[in-house]
Amino acid sequence: MSAPRTVRLGEMPSLSKLYVNAAATAARRRVLGAQSGSELPGCGHEVRGVTAGVGNLTAYQHLVGETASDVLPAGFIHALAFPLAMSVMNREDFPLPLLGMIHLSNKVVQSVPVQFSEALDIRAWAENLRGHRAGTQLDLVAEVRGAGEDTLRWRGVSTYLAKGVFLPGIDKPSAAAAPGDFTAPDPTALWQLGVDTGRAYAAVSGDFNPIHLSVLSAKALGMRRSIAHGMYLASRALADVGAAKGDAFSWDVVFEAPVFLPARVALDISTVQDDDGAWLRSDYVAWSPRSGRKHFSGSVASLK
Amino acid sequence: MPDNGTPAPGAMTTPAAATQLRKAVVVGGNRIPFARTGGAYTKSSNQDMLTAALDGLIARFGLQDERIGEVAAGAVLKHSRDFNLTREAVLGSALSAETPAYDLQQACATGLETVLGLANKIKLGQIDSAIAGGVDSASDAPIAVSEGLREVLLDLNRAKTLPQRLQVLSRLRPKDLAPDAPNTGEPRTGLSMGEHQALTTAQWKISREAQDELAYNSHRNLAAAYDAGFFDDLMTPYRGLSKDSNLRADTTPEKLAGLKPVFGKNLGAEATMTAGNSTPLTDGASTVLLASEAWADAHDLPKLATVLDGEAAAVDFVHGKDGLLMAPAFAVPRLLARNGLGFGDIDFFEIHEAFAGTVLSTLAAWEDEEFCRTRLGLDGALGSVDRAKLNVNGSSLAAGHPFAATGGRIVASLAKMLHAKGQADGRPARGLISICAAGGQGVVALLEAH
Repeated sequence: MSAPRTVRLGEMPSLSKLYVNAAATAARRRVLGAQSGSELPGCGHEVRGVTAGVGNLTAYQHLVGETASDVLPAGFIHALAFPLAMSVMNREDFPLPLLGMIHLSNKVVQSVPVQFSEALDIRAWAENLRGHRAGTQLDLVAEVRGAGEDTLRWRGVSTYLAKGVFLPGIDKPSAAAAPGDFTAPDPTALWQLGVDTGRAYAAVSGDFNPIHLSVLSAKALGMRRSIAHGMYLASRALADVGAAKGDAFSWDVVFEAPVFLPARVALDISTVQDDDGAWLRSDYVAWSPRSGRKHFSGSVASLK
Repeated sequence: MPDNGTPAPGAMTTPAAATQLRKAVVVGGNRIPFARTGGAYTKSSNQDMLTAALDGLIARFGLQDERIGEVAAGAVLKHSRDFNLTREAVLGSALSAETPAYDLQQACATGLETVLGLANKIKLGQIDSAIAGGVDSASDAPIAVSEGLREVLLDLNRAKTLPQRLQVLSRLRPKDLAPDAPNTGEPRTGLSMGEHQALTTAQWKISREAQDELAYNSHRNLAAAYDAGFFDDLMTPYRGLSKDSNLRADTTPEKLAGLKPVFGKNLGAEATMTAGNSTPLTDGASTVLLASEAWADAHDLPKLATVLDGEAAAVDFVHGKDGLLMAPAFAVPRLLARNGLGFGDIDFFEIHEAFAGTVLSTLAAWEDEEFCRTRLGLDGALGSVDRAKLNVNGSSLAAGHPFAATGGRIVASLAKMLHAKGQADGRPARGLISICAAGGQGVVALLEAH
């Protein structure tokens, strides 16, 4: 689907204001019982001429295990575009409550690398509102281009679930997909994630969602402890794949059991090569070495 | 003047028969611009910068997924977590993950020593290709905890019971919490490198004007080299920098003369060393691609210069017998003698400018009959270096000096200059590299146009 009509914002929205506004909206809707319908906003948001802060970039790269190169990591671009995506979900006419949304999966296509010094035009919109056995899901699409350019550099599709929210006119899928049995392979890496993991990623990504920050703030939103950001985990897996992925690649992740902090996470990365030994893709899966539950899985694949 | 080309007496060693050895050639190099400390690379680690320089080299010579024979690099200021710095940089680069690597450290001679060690392996046929390099960050320098805190922490780890732990902790004093920052002081003398050089500068009666002139020429030559595009195929930009940030293309002898002395103010003699004629603390990284001729040919890559020979020397500086940075004065005549060469056979002199005083003291020593006879065992003065052949594209005073990265900067630049010159007097053009290092050491090398 192509981008709908866009509203151009003067600057990148502030995530902290968006979260405060989302909380206020949630409270208002609870009191008034108002719903904003069963349709996604008819327009997206756009900000032009966005540049990355180099200090923030370096801190991000060091946190997720990337070397501090001049090329923006694909996960950093996600973080750069995230406030814009949030602002779409924060619109008055957005039909689902923003707070408490669950990130189900994420797909990124990094087609042309982005240098840190480049100014970028970023667009974001919501699409594909549909049922889920546990609520309602939708896709948040973000596209990144060089300022004033037509060529798409980076495209991300984040699928979110509003758990327990069922909108009139949107049917649940008839059969819930049965979760496949997961048997943990031998790990290739073991991550030790400290209790401050969420705060550290919030500091470099700007995503100060309370469920990631502390036990207390997470409990206020119904979590028993704080959980790691999904995109932090996926970005570390991407960094782990390393230079083999080259300049142009796709990067998918599906999130399953959340990672409650602190945690140990086991990871397996397996490389798939063609007959000539050239890299085709790296598949990764992460799980809890204690419970054996799968946390997330995905793939980084060549676009060639 | 001595008879150029005559081997000096006292040359005890002879080069290994060249016919038995392969040639090790310099294919090219890549570095990131050098940045003054606290500048563009403040938050970049040694591993980040070395990887950036390495990835630029890989891109320039098409080495993606290539298994290189060996990579050697190092850093002078190094975090303990960077014990495998070079191998980690290789793993983070586009080279094949099956490329082995090792770290080396010989103070400011680190970069040149990696070139010599790897070139020797190529000459012996142990490897066919190699990448030499070095990196340093004075911005992202390691800070250690104090000895007091370190001992308490180690004992705390060994304590088994709560009372034992409390007893260990009770030894902690407020002063133990002050961190230990690295410094450039010599462990045995407590003098900084600048203070040591100030002693040597005074000993050789090097004038303030001569030092400022050398510094001025360094900036002028480096600026001209940039203008001529000399660094276009020797450098990749990093963190927004595309030129060495220490370069002052518009500096003048007057501006340099106006600076206040910073070293040697308490030595009695006139203080002559300023921030203008001393190198600043700098961040940066450099790499050099070395190969056998066959490997370079098979990969359709250039062969700029041959690594002919190298020599290390050290001086007894601790009680002032020689200046801290004077070891190259001893290494160069030994290297020239072993190869049957004199100053007249050299077309480019690359003498690392730790301080202008270092270069000028070394040149003065080689012109001094007494020194050359009594200390170098020569018949007379070694000779004068033609200033028109000295650091012709600038050196450390202008470019800056990220300690371990300087050797790679010089080798790559010199190889390019030799290749461009080709022949001189009916023989391949030759270049001499001289690098002084902490601990009273020095490493020197001879390169020849291929």
